[in-house]
Amino acid sequence: MISAIGNNVHEAFQSLSNSQTGIGKINHLTTRYKDEFLAGEIKLSNKDLADLVKDNNPDLNRNSYIAMLAAKEAVIHSGIDTKDGMRTGVISSTTVAGMGKTELYYKELFEKDDHLGVLDTHDCGDSTERIADYIGNVDYVTTISTACSSAANAVMLGCRMIKHGLLDRAVVGGVDALSKFTFNGFNTLMILDREWCKPFDENRKGLNLGEAAGFLVIEGENALNKRGGKALAEVIGYANANDAYHQTASSPEGYGATLAIQQALQMSGLTPSQIDYINMHGTGTPNNDQSEGMATKAVFGNQVPKFSSTKAFTGHTLAAAASIEAIISVLSLQNNMIFPNLNFTTPIAELNLIPETKLLLTPVNTILSNSFGFGGNCSSLIFKKA
Amino acid sequence: MGCISPQNTIDANWFFETTVGPNVDHFNALEPSYKEYIAPNLLRRMGRAIKMGVATANLAINQAEIKNVDAIITGTGLGCFEDSERFLLALLDNNEQFLTPTSFIQSTHNTVGSQIALIMKCHDYNFTYVHRGFSFESTVQDALMLFAEGKKTIMVGGIEEHTPNFVILNRRAKKFKNYDASVPFWKSTTPGIQMSEGGAFFVLHHAKTEKSIASIDGIQTLYKPKTSEDILKKLYMFLQSHNLQLSDIDVTMMGFSSDVNFDKLLVELLPSIEKESIVASYKQVSGEYHTASAFATWTAAKIIEKQHLPDVLAVSDKRPSEIKHVLIINQYLGINFSFTLLSRC
Repeated sequence: MISAIGNNVHEAFQSLSNSQTGIGKINHLTTRYKDEFLAGEIKLSNKDLADLVKDNNPDLNRNSYIAMLAAKEAVIHSGIDTKDGMRTGVISSTTVAGMGKTELYYKELFEKDDHLGVLDTHDCGDSTERIADYIGNVDYVTTISTACSSAANAVMLGCRMIKHGLLDRAVVGGVDALSKFTFNGFNTLMILDREWCKPFDENRKGLNLGEAAGFLVIEGENALNKRGGKALAEVIGYANANDAYHQTASSPEGYGATLAIQQALQMSGLTPSQIDYINMHGTGTPNNDQSEGMATKAVFGNQVPKFSSTKAFTGHTLAAAASIEAIISVLSLQNNMIFPNLNFTTPIAELNLIPETKLLLTPVNTILSNSFGFGGNCSSLIFKKA
Repeated sequence: MGCISPQNTIDANWFFETTVGPNVDHFNALEPSYKEYIAPNLLRRMGRAIKMGVATANLAINQAEIKNVDAIITGTGLGCFEDSERFLLALLDNNEQFLTPTSFIQSTHNTVGSQIALIMKCHDYNFTYVHRGFSFESTVQDALMLFAEGKKTIMVGGIEEHTPNFVILNRRAKKFKNYDASVPFWKSTTPGIQMSEGGAFFVLHHAKTEKSIASIDGIQTLYKPKTSEDILKKLYMFLQSHNLQLSDIDVTMMGFSSDVNFDKLLVELLPSIEKESIVASYKQVSGEYHTASAFATWTAAKIIEKQHLPDVLAVSDKRPSEIKHVLIINQYLGINFSFTLLSRC
């Protein structure tokens, strides 16, 4: 993974363990609001990223660079060999796609020919095919875009395709680089906090946008055993539901979220009390945290497990959020650590839910991870220690 | 099922009796008066992709005579491009000031699927696929998995819209060419396509009902096959998994786009297919777009329903006497290939 808290999983783990946020002043994104808002930027320029990818193809954009780097890291770390004859899929997700580059050149495209190539890299499928070609020997590709729940659905689809015998393994995840387009979009919705976001705090004002790419390799048991690999964690539950309440707002009672959590739990065979930790969607917007809090209470009653939102580390990375939080969940399972919900001081009066605010060393065997998005898309995943 | 395309597909009685050609180098969808399909308060805010999606979903639901579905799965390559462009131009023109959120809200790729969920009050499974020439194929593949997982009724669809600016830019990038009726698509010697747009939605049910038009038996995508032999080998395996041979396929609809480069593998494949099956082509009437395969699927189902292959689609001289199985071999940019198998039910 690559995000504001580091260029790889190891660096992210260091930041998380040291309660070190990656959100700060905007350095790379060109916007008139540079000095007014904070963001969770990846600390590398496009030139730095091109050097790391070792590809100066002018058609590549920031979205592709970070997707390629994170996916490659996942493949190398997993030890899979895509040339071994097993069927490998790439299931990625993005919301912004190539917009970060399109917005730089759109006006001049009508007069000059220099950057007409952005027409070919603007769409969501571009970064996915770049990943597939970068990894090599990929049999299947597809891309999902369900707003901020996108990568959770990529994880879910990967699991299902393996279960149905359509793939032996899948590189799954999501990517969204910052762009003026998304930044201004969220700004017009007035859900950006000018200071550090405060998930689940009574006085929360909104989210900080971030950028990231996060990928995981999911394998069927047979494929894993055949190559003698070792699993880091198991996906034991997933669910996708729709709030069907409003195009951008979540229902106050969190109906869609409740459905997603309940159905994922049902699939996992776990009772609510068997969940050790919840990695919340927790964006820090008044609406999300209220709605997610209500859903959490609806499912867990007065016995809400330990929980935190890690968005105050990374910012809200949209399509990538669920996959970087899946990776953070795996780090929690591996290290028996719960990473803190930064910037929290006062519980939401109506809910009185108190997240973990300090790094906690405690046995963690099962994790619920939530991701919700515009369009009412709600997805929940459940991970178990391998 | 419901379909909006450059042709009169919105009319339930139309079946290729009359067709229109492109607007020189691109097609525009023939859009209906949406008031019949969408409530006026909703209609006002919707972009064209959303309108095409919601209207065709509505048509499909009415034809199937159902009220609820267990899943809504949408495919779109570029999503709500009109709203994306509107927000982008507003922010560029006004230097990131004085923006309103409406077009940003509508610009997200999952807007069509979520609008349908909102209208139907469907809290169940909702997915949006956005992968080029696999966008619609992914919806069908997902639906077939969901049936195996126990879902009963699923809506799938593919939607694409273009804008005047997008047409201008792609023309500048030399992606289009003027339509030449004297050269059949599969005999083209020059690059260039006729870009198009449209929407098609389908209600799929896990088992045959009185309303069933045709069955979708299987789908497979191929990413960057290297040779036409590769495709043929995969096709034989695909058909074999359905206990069929190529000679069992009464009509094979091939996705020639009239671009000599993109069509290369399909042109090479054509003699092998034509030896065993009757071949048809559809992009001369639909134009080329990411979800043109949704148009092809609608057409294949109609061919089965009517038991007739219209002349305007035919590549082979022969005509089928009976149509049990129709195979679609689609390609997009010579990169995304797919097989879709439909049968009479």
